[in-house]
Amino acid sequence: MERRDRRFGWMLSAPGLLLLGAVVLFPIVWAGLTSFFDYTLLMPGYDSFVGIGNYRMAAGQGEFLHSAWITLLFVVAVVAIQFVIGMVVALALNDARRGKSVYYLILLCPLLINPVVVGLMWRMILHPTLGIVNWLLGTVGIAPVNWLGAPDMAFWTVVLVDIWHQVSFMVVLLLAGLSALPTEPYEAARCDGATAFQRFWHITLPLMRPVIIVTLLIRMIFAIKTYDIIYIMTRGGPGVATDLISYFIYRRAFVSLDLGQACAMAVMLLVVIAGMTAMLWRAMRQVGE
Amino acid sequence: MRPHILIPFGAFAMGAGAVQAQSINILMEAVPDTTYVQELLPEFEEATGIDVNLEVVNYAEMHTKLVPQLVSNSGSYSAIVVDFYWVGEFYRAGWMQPLDDRIEADGFDTSVYVPAMMDLVGEVEGTTYMLPFYNYAMGLLYRTDLLEDEANRTAWKEEHGSELRPPETWDEYRDQVAFFTKDGIYGVVNQGLRPDPIAMEWSNYLFAHGGTFMDETWHATFNSDEGVAALKAYIANIDQYGPVGAASFSFDEAFNVFSQGQAYSYITYNFFRAAVDDPSQSSVAGAAEIMGVPGPTPGEGGSLNGAWGWAIPRSSPDPDAAWEFLKWVESPEIAKRRALMGGSPTRLDVFDDAEVIAEYPQTEALKELLLGAHNFPTFTYTPQFVEVLGRELSLAVAGEKSAREALDAAAEEFDALAERDGRRG
Repeated sequence: MERRDRRFGWMLSAPGLLLLGAVVLFPIVWAGLTSFFDYTLLMPGYDSFVGIGNYRMAAGQGEFLHSAWITLLFVVAVVAIQFVIGMVVALALNDARRGKSVYYLILLCPLLINPVVVGLMWRMILHPTLGIVNWLLGTVGIAPVNWLGAPDMAFWTVVLVDIWHQVSFMVVLLLAGLSALPTEPYEAARCDGATAFQRFWHITLPLMRPVIIVTLLIRMIFAIKTYDIIYIMTRGGPGVATDLISYFIYRRAFVSLDLGQACAMAVMLLVVIAGMTAMLWRAMRQVGE
Repeated sequence: MRPHILIPFGAFAMGAGAVQAQSINILMEAVPDTTYVQELLPEFEEATGIDVNLEVVNYAEMHTKLVPQLVSNSGSYSAIVVDFYWVGEFYRAGWMQPLDDRIEADGFDTSVYVPAMMDLVGEVEGTTYMLPFYNYAMGLLYRTDLLEDEANRTAWKEEHGSELRPPETWDEYRDQVAFFTKDGIYGVVNQGLRPDPIAMEWSNYLFAHGGTFMDETWHATFNSDEGVAALKAYIANIDQYGPVGAASFSFDEAFNVFSQGQAYSYITYNFFRAAVDDPSQSSVAGAAEIMGVPGPTPGEGGSLNGAWGWAIPRSSPDPDAAWEFLKWVESPEIAKRRALMGGSPTRLDVFDDAEVIAEYPQTEALKELLLGAHNFPTFTYTPQFVEVLGRELSLAVAGEKSAREALDAAAEEFDALAERDGRRG
């Protein structure tokens, strides 16, 4: 009976598993395999096995390492700032008695917009001479800001746009965690005369720890893969100030047509993201327990 | 896509003969010249019974969408349009079908094309793979109203001792850029976004300073003194005489600055000339003109050439229908009608047509611009070279490298790409 049930279960799962195998597993295996060959779209073929040559080339390439470094800075900046803003907003919303759904709706609006539209919209808003932001700054006597034309400023502009777009994701997850916290420790702390900061520091943060870890990890995984905003807003420039790794790999594949190298870089990125996903999984299990 | 065989249900039910309808797909860029083709398509479909589906996308998506279709044995696109800097790559990969037999069989006359167009998007190594579609040679858009303004003329004469007029040399243009940077107007607006906007625009500066990209043995020469002077001039224009943020402008943003009357000049694609006169998108309609980018001396031009060509891919599901379309769209009549709608011609007979000149008096200036324009290096790795050049120029503009360092780095990579392409013999 149990065997029949198991077989039936497999039969029901088979279409989904086959589909996943075709659209997820096959491309990953294919990319892994291709990364060991000198495979270009100009002359596609598996005639030239190069072993770890593509990996060695990527690891020794200054431009690729620079992109990895910029990506790390970007991830740290967006995740850290989004976490701080997200936590403050979530705490405020958690205490809100009325109009919570209205706040939710407003907060979720940016998240519902396609990243390409976000990029185009902000490019127009931040246009140095025709954009509304510099015009508003001009009305109070502030000189036009070179939002995307100076390397440091362009990096922070992209970070800010990403924060605007994604911060509500952080708010929603953290708020869900806060809503689920037990009320008893807070009542006890109040009786003991704990201040609001003490309650936050000694009760909220420790209780929220697993939720915070999950939230940070999910957001970091998304941030590493950021591509659309860079493609629309800066194309990696000015210079190489915003040349994030996903956009770098895309160019290696579709401009240079060098799939062997692009696959090797993509596999390296996949390993990093897979490691973070493993940590995420462990953290989620802790939350469950 | 295979030619569709449409069998109307009624005819099938009655056992009557099947009606065959062919359809071809073509991927095209969202530019004015594509719109003109779109408007004329019903005539082709009516005359031949071939349905044409134009898939119109932004430039940035085109290469990405084309390559997977070209690599496969049977792709979706019956005909394609090829930007000049993909030509070497497509040729080396064997993605385009030779057209010579079809041209000969149908007596199609290719001698009417501007020779530089055939060099750029027509023939490769003596074989015809494409028919030139439209040109986008770059020119200098400048404000005629500012040149004609009496106060400006007087001030210029006092300052320079000569008449204020459209610039004949680069030095004269450079002085005008400095002169017009005043009263909330910028002397110039640039398109400094990497990779292709900045690489294409700076190429004009290189030619205008008497520089070249390479010598006959495919060694880079653009890091010469002329090249360095060209890059310094480019940086000065962005930093001193242009609007804040020009280092990140694409061509549409730069054009908006010019068309809103905020800049005296803009080196750009010639198809923007028609847009300047469109009051719905320009506040300087009737107050701007285009000319070839002035060179080091009055006789030498500094413009960069550019063009698209029609081709039939090796993976074309219906090359015969595609050729029917190419013959039609590049026929004298349709080429002329496209030009009358505002298109950028590639055929000499269209440039010289009295009706076209009467409709667009700037046609003669555009022909001169095209005849004096310089070509960008086209080889298998042109897209990569544009990427490298764009990156290094952008680094120099951002102040992260000196002009010499940036150009030396780009030259080194150019030499390596040329070597890899077997250009060194």
